[in-house]
Amino acid sequence: MVSYKSWLDTRWRFVIPLVVLVINVWGLLLEYPHIANLLRTIDIQPDALTRSGTLGRQIIETVSAEHTYRGFVWFQWFRQNLSQLGTLCAVLLGSGSLLAGSSGAGTLFTLSLPASRNQWLLARASVGLAQTLALIVIPSLEIAVVSPTIGQQYAVSDALVHSLCAFVVCGMFFSLAFLLSTEFADIWRPLLIAGGIAIVLSLIESRYELNGFFRVMSGSSYFFADTIPWIGLLVSAVLSLAMLYGASVNIARKDF
Amino acid sequence: MSDLFAIETDDLRKHYDGGVEALRGLTLQVPRGSIFGFLGKNGAGKTTTIKVLLGMARATSGRATVFGLAAGAQDSSVAIRRRTGFVSEEKDLYELMTVEQIIRFTASFYPSWRGDLEHQYLRSFELPRDRKVQDLSRGMRTKLALLLALSRGAELLILDEPTSGLDPAMTEEILQALVAHVARQETTVFLSSHQLSHVDQIADRVAIIDHGRIVVSGALEDLLESYRRLQLVFDGDAPDHTFRADGVVRQQRRGRVLTVICRGNAEPIAADARALGAASVEIMPVPLREIFLETVNGEN
Amino acid sequence: MLFRTNPSLGTPIYLQLMEQVKHAVETGALRAGDQLPGIRPLAEELVVNPNTVAKAYRELEHEGVIELRHGAGAFIAATAKGRKVADKVRLAQPIVTGAVEKLRAKGLSDEEIRRLFEAELAGLTKAGAQHE
Repeated sequence: MVSYKSWLDTRWRFVIPLVVLVINVWGLLLEYPHIANLLRTIDIQPDALTRSGTLGRQIIETVSAEHTYRGFVWFQWFRQNLSQLGTLCAVLLGSGSLLAGSSGAGTLFTLSLPASRNQWLLARASVGLAQTLALIVIPSLEIAVVSPTIGQQYAVSDALVHSLCAFVVCGMFFSLAFLLSTEFADIWRPLLIAGGIAIVLSLIESRYELNGFFRVMSGSSYFFADTIPWIGLLVSAVLSLAMLYGASVNIARKDF
Repeated sequence: MSDLFAIETDDLRKHYDGGVEALRGLTLQVPRGSIFGFLGKNGAGKTTTIKVLLGMARATSGRATVFGLAAGAQDSSVAIRRRTGFVSEEKDLYELMTVEQIIRFTASFYPSWRGDLEHQYLRSFELPRDRKVQDLSRGMRTKLALLLALSRGAELLILDEPTSGLDPAMTEEILQALVAHVARQETTVFLSSHQLSHVDQIADRVAIIDHGRIVVSGALEDLLESYRRLQLVFDGDAPDHTFRADGVVRQQRRGRVLTVICRGNAEPIAADARALGAASVEIMPVPLREIFLETVNGEN
Repeated sequence: MLFRTNPSLGTPIYLQLMEQVKHAVETGALRAGDQLPGIRPLAEELVVNPNTVAKAYRELEHEGVIELRHGAGAFIAATAKGRKVADKVRLAQPIVTGAVEKLRAKGLSDEEIRRLFEAELAGLTKAGAQHE
């Protein structure tokens, strides 16, 4: 029943984004034939673009990536949509009090039940991470399943590897929001702070072209070079665990 | 710490960040099977004490045990809560659940849940199963919170201001349910209140807390039998005499009347007063309400 | 048989109950062999602590006013004490009635009369009433 409460508190934050993501994928795949046509008509002068700096290079990257279907999926879905929406959903799922009911009241009631604070924490973290995983894997697998209907193929193994990378890094943002939730009882502050940090990180990464969290999230090393970014995943996982541990310590010492 | 007591604290202190000293050396003992009235003004430390006992807040120093188990350790605190029913002052519950849902939810945590009591109270309290908690009136919420506490098969009930905000009829209903429950189940009740009229009806032991410390405690009937008010009327102005006998709680001089509140020793004081030439010496019992007012509204 | 208790009087509830039972015996409202309500039902009816009712019954048994028959309940004792007390009280009643009438005639209120009696009794009998 401890897990059931966690589910009850976050189910709409899971179901609605899941529906949104599933539709988003579907819309994306339907667009592909048009984009493929468009790309074939573009005549690119690579020299001119490389000379125009970062933006130019990014445009080249985009266009060259999207010449293949696999590239299109990687660029539009894993690198863009899922990175943004996935991070947002992870942060959303990690926000909000661990102990109160969905309306915000009921903290003392929860604490009067014969379950330890760690039990509540563990249940909420497990349910939240499972929801994050589902939000990433289901739409990604959808691509592999639906692609044949538009005459394309997308490997399930690709979907799974990219999902794993996305999950581990999004999980880190989940843990960040989760840690903040043990400090702030409302849903807004953890959401805005963790979301803000994610945005700042992604801006820094793209501005300075760093090999950072978001690159690991999209699995670009796997896409370009078939190399799973183990170090990046390990760092993210370790940070997640550290923050979840921090959450446990923080909530143990609080007075209600 | 022995098994005779459901609750025991020893020199309990609680210091909040920001300098608030909620508990300043609280020592009390609640015998098993008693209905214990924990009385004090708002802000005296009643709720803090309860939170420490239930593991919701951590004491700064001192010991607190329930059923002989340490209230401050995570594991024993869970064991304590398995045997305890709690109703918070705000009747804190999950607003969006229905009556039925919150009952089922709570029941899942207690292997000793009493389905028979649940049905009995659902009927006698007339709680609508399908209504959401947030749509219940204050009285209904209190009854629901009480149902959840009573149906756990708990050995100890901790109730923080259970009758606050209720009209007299509802209050009587709640007290009646409590007394009926205690009469049939082996339960200890720890009841905090600033409304004495309810406590002195059903408590057999009381403790009065003021500024984080116990100022009076004991069996209610002992207190009522030992506290006396002496009203001494003199022909002229009352003499400025300080009665030095043990047990004088307060004395007050106004015009021709000298009033002395004492705990025990009423006879020697009365004799002293007659020796002083008092025209009339009346010895009267002191109801709990006045014992409370005299012991928390400033000492002499 | 209706008992009523009032906590705000300052007298312990168990004493109030005892007084009411004794008074009922004295006036003949309860006679030897009559059964008193059970501890739990009475506690529930009066909304008082069952321990309080239990104590009242124990003290009454100690004083010989009632008998607690195991498994059957509480019954007024069939002892002469009860009857003798009843006679004494019946004879005393007119004295009290007369005194109260006289005091009322002098213009004293019922409250004042009650306080005079209480003070008198408290002053004289306090030493004797110290028990336990």
